Amino acid sequence: MTKINVKICLGTTCFVMGGSKQQELIELVTRKYCGKVNVESSACLDLCRDNEFTGAPYVTVNEEVVPEATIEKVTDIIEKKINEQ
Amino acid sequence: MEESLFIDIDHFQRKKQGQNAYGDSFTSKRYPGEDRLIAVLSDGLGSGVKASILSRMTATMVLKFAEAERDLIKATEIIMESLPVCKVRKISYATFSVIDCNSDGNAKIVEEGNPQFLWVRNGKVLNTEPKVITSRKFQNRHMQCYEIKMESEDRLIFCSDGVTQSGLGSPGYKLGWRRSGLIGFVREILKKEPYISSRQLSAEIVKEAEKKEINKEAKDDISSSVLYFRRPRKLIVFTGPPYHSEKDREYAEMFAGFDGKKAICGGTTTNLISRELNRPITGGKIPSGNLPSISEMEGVDLVTEGILTMTKAVEYLENPQKIQPDAAGKLVDLFLDSDCIDFMVGVKLNQAHYDPNLPIELEIRKNVVKRMIKILEEKYVKKINVKFI
Repeated sequence: MTKINVKICLGTTCFVMGGSKQQELIELVTRKYCGKVNVESSACLDLCRDNEFTGAPYVTVNEEVVPEATIEKVTDIIEKKINEQ
Repeated sequence: MEESLFIDIDHFQRKKQGQNAYGDSFTSKRYPGEDRLIAVLSDGLGSGVKASILSRMTATMVLKFAEAERDLIKATEIIMESLPVCKVRKISYATFSVIDCNSDGNAKIVEEGNPQFLWVRNGKVLNTEPKVITSRKFQNRHMQCYEIKMESEDRLIFCSDGVTQSGLGSPGYKLGWRRSGLIGFVREILKKEPYISSRQLSAEIVKEAEKKEINKEAKDDISSSVLYFRRPRKLIVFTGPPYHSEKDREYAEMFAGFDGKKAICGGTTTNLISRELNRPITGGKIPSGNLPSISEMEGVDLVTEGILTMTKAVEYLENPQKIQPDAAGKLVDLFLDSDCIDFMVGVKLNQAHYDPNLPIELEIRKNVVKRMIKILEEKYVKKINVKFI
């Protein structure tokens, strides 16, 4: 099984808009999907300047951009991807 | 021409146990136009508020006299001849040590009543004979005058008698820690940390002296000031993407080629440098309290987020007692351990920062940098170069 890559943006906008949730998300995803998911934080995903996406905070799950990323939203997408495999 | 020396000067103090005021006073001033630095350490008779007033007045007067008079001996002689004597204890109201030095390493020192300073070079204490001037008016009052030439990596350590007499009467130090104990301690510390800053060394000395005291309670005011002559330590901070993105490469290379420590503040800036220099960003997992975590990049000493971290760092610089070991605290550590700081400030705007949903505290980069530079220059006497790109 290939691991799912999750990247969490820790740029200024995402950090502010996400409150302290990003750190929690990193810890939770690492713990919950241990072995199935590769979690990385990013200095900036450079997405906030792009109007194509609706808003910070951003997370990417494989190539999929998750705007306004909440813990629930991200875990749902991760589970969907795990089930698809 | 040989590069001039930077003088890293700082001091640390402890009050006598139970007192509310410091009985020793330290004051220093740089005169950049004259390439001159004058520093004074004065020990006031007794302790508490009275000693504090006496030492503060003496230190300020010595500084002002030395400043106005090119001849340090003449200036200090006037002070020595005018310092009053306590009617009860028949001793001077205050003692003092003063140094007048410049970036070529020329130093003139005058001591009146304080313990003799230490001059440390390559871990050894150098001895130098003073010219002694005896007071015409007061018995047993002398000034020791020195004229020495400092070299790069030399240190001068001044202290009040609270340091050399610490532990007096205790079983381990019946005669106190004494000069010999202080020398041993300083040599030991310099062996372990040859590049220790004056801020740290003065604190270590005072804390060690305090440990020597019975119950670790200071029986006298304990003060130490350190002057560390060295080649300037340089730091560069790159924050914000350049306005003209076609110059990204040029600026990234300029940053990489800098001769000194390097810090990047900002996610976009980090990505830019990583891309242009082909150096991967790693880490990002080092927790940093309430701030975004720290990343790592080869050849860069610190990689942090931008605005939030810098805003917090300004707060820490304003209130050093609030410093936490987070990203901003690490940035402040780099600042305090550097003498010359270059800022490369990219002024390209990130539209997302103008989202009305973002908190008002999220300031424009230029404003944060402006506040940071002001405090680094005025409060911390750092030499700053700033380039908006």
